[in-house]
Amino acid sequence: MKQIGLTVIIIVIVLSVNSNIAKAQDDGNKMKLSGELLTDQRFLLEDPNDWAWNENRLTLKLNRKITGNSRFYSEVWLRNIGLPDIIFPEVLYNKGIVDPYNLEVREAYVQLFGFLTKNLDVKIGRQRIAWGTADKLNPTDNLNPYDLEDVIDFGRHRGADAISLDYYFNSEFSLQGVFIPFFQPANMPVGIFANALTSSMELPGGMTLMESSGRVHMPRYNLSESSTAGLKFKGFAAGFDFSLSYVWGRDGIPISTYNTFTPVDAMGGIRIFSQLSYYRTHIFGADLAGSIGGVGVWAEAAAFLPKNEVIMTNNLSALYPMSPVPVTQDTTALEKKIYTKFILGADYNFANGAYLNFQYMHGFINERGKDALNDYFFVRLEKKFFEDKLKIAPVGGGFIVSDWSDFGNNYAIIYIPEISYMATDNAEITLSAALFNGKGDNMFVNFKDYNMMMFKLKYSF
Amino acid sequence: MRNLKSTIVSLFLLTGGMLSASAQDANTILKKIDDVMYSPKDMTGETKIILIDKAGKQKTREANFIQKGNDKRIFRFTTPASQAGIAVLSLPNDVMYLYLPAFGKERRISSSVKNQNFAGTDFSYDDMESKPYSEKYTPKLINTEEDIYILELTPKSPKSAYSRLIVKVHKTNYYPTYMEYYDRGNKKTKVAVYQFEKIGKYWNAKEIEMTDLQKNHKTKMLMSDVKYDTGLTDDEFTVRKLKQ
Repeated sequence: MKQIGLTVIIIVIVLSVNSNIAKAQDDGNKMKLSGELLTDQRFLLEDPNDWAWNENRLTLKLNRKITGNSRFYSEVWLRNIGLPDIIFPEVLYNKGIVDPYNLEVREAYVQLFGFLTKNLDVKIGRQRIAWGTADKLNPTDNLNPYDLEDVIDFGRHRGADAISLDYYFNSEFSLQGVFIPFFQPANMPVGIFANALTSSMELPGGMTLMESSGRVHMPRYNLSESSTAGLKFKGFAAGFDFSLSYVWGRDGIPISTYNTFTPVDAMGGIRIFSQLSYYRTHIFGADLAGSIGGVGVWAEAAAFLPKNEVIMTNNLSALYPMSPVPVTQDTTALEKKIYTKFILGADYNFANGAYLNFQYMHGFINERGKDALNDYFFVRLEKKFFEDKLKIAPVGGGFIVSDWSDFGNNYAIIYIPEISYMATDNAEITLSAALFNGKGDNMFVNFKDYNMMMFKLKYSF
Repeated sequence: MRNLKSTIVSLFLLTGGMLSASAQDANTILKKIDDVMYSPKDMTGETKIILIDKAGKQKTREANFIQKGNDKRIFRFTTPASQAGIAVLSLPNDVMYLYLPAFGKERRISSSVKNQNFAGTDFSYDDMESKPYSEKYTPKLINTEEDIYILELTPKSPKSAYSRLIVKVHKTNYYPTYMEYYDRGNKKTKVAVYQFEKIGKYWNAKEIEMTDLQKNHKTKMLMSDVKYDTGLTDDEFTVRKLKQ
């Protein structure tokens, strides 16, 4: 009888434990699928209103808490992007060109919390390591490769294949170490903005560029050549969050190091073949964020020190066929000197629901070297109406000065007003315009022929 | 004689009790409200937020929350999909962080956000704050009715969006049953109605209905699965946890 009683008790305990485990697994280990469907359409305002952008993107996010101390996360983009580029009839048999699409793994990682010691978290796999306290534009955010596909989506990065370790000394101070075993370059703009970030080259008098091509020298895929490492100390003191960081990596936008000039006609037309490479650099970063008198404030700076001076050689031998020796011209593309990009910003929420955000930035993503850094002023004012269903941003954009000494001839204005409407809890429709104007040699001045209207529909699920 | 003595003692106690109740000053009442509202060491739960517009159309948001003391809290949305994963960490001294999963990092929020409504509801960030009333307001007892005390609360901070609050307080259990909010122009702008239930030894506001009188818009906040004193530590209220 005693044995039967004991058996019953054991069965009850086992059933109870099993049922608790099953419940815990049901609650915690459930795979969560979420995502969004986005359509992004843009056309130029100038007649004949060419289509400037066509993107239909399905974002799928999978999130699973494997155990109480680990988690898996992935984010995949399945996209139909771009317009069919059809010249030859045989291309019509290639569905990938007739209806261009691509698949992109943005993130896919496993995260272990309290790994080896309760204060250590580890993240392994493709991941976004977002550094910096500024809004979207972050000079210290240099671990992930830039995703420059859409130049208007400032600050977008791709995932980096990395291992990231966060050690928490306490609730206020932590140290992060990141190692990226191989170099991943930035992908450049596409469509009408394809040449937006390509720096113009000053040609000798009488020469006209007719063709250009090039070759990219990727670093060798070994640990010493190709890897990137970063370290960040983060803390909280006197009401401010701050961090100090260091990155040993490569600039993700290639720089031209050797150009071969070849004449193509008798009128001074030339072809340039460029060799491009990615230079090594040290990046020292610092940032802080806090609130002063209700106003949110932040500052962020990154000092770049190239490992070596970058020399650009122009080989003009083909232009001087009678010369007994090769005719080359060396110029310094980038000095081995520190240059600092920085950003200062503030924001404020008004009682009537309006929000104001202002940032001053010195040095854009593609600008390198002390003398090449321009000044950017960005501002956005938005206000929500009708229980936050409607959001209007009548003021949005930036003002850029590329030469203060001749300000009237060296500036650019970007104006991006926006209206968005939450049609349902999960469906947001956004209508905006991007208008560019200015004078001088500045990236955004080059956009002035591309004023456009933009329509986006995002449905979250 | 023994009966008479007992009757006198009882009368004395009863009268004394009545005298003590009526003699309670506003500060004591407010302190007792704080004791009822903020005495748990920590709290976890789920909340369903129903937004009702003037046409009666409803929208629902759901979130879970953890809270320790009255100045540490993480509030994380679970639905709708467009807001799922968005989380707010509130810490002492108006330090607040917003986590937006799309950006993959936390963002410090300026304290001016306290002026604004929280996530489209009729509650401002300030209303959501669980700072004790006695720290934020100076009370005045303006009336006593059968079951309730009526207090007028004047904000101590000149930055408050309100000029005063009128609060009806349950006489026995000292939880608020009704609140009126007056703006800086002394115009009644919002009304909140509370329903409390006892969970263990604590009173829990299981439903709060806030009405914005100007917008004719209502927010119902329904609490469920509430647990008290589960032993949450300060480590749960960090940016590290916010991002998990």
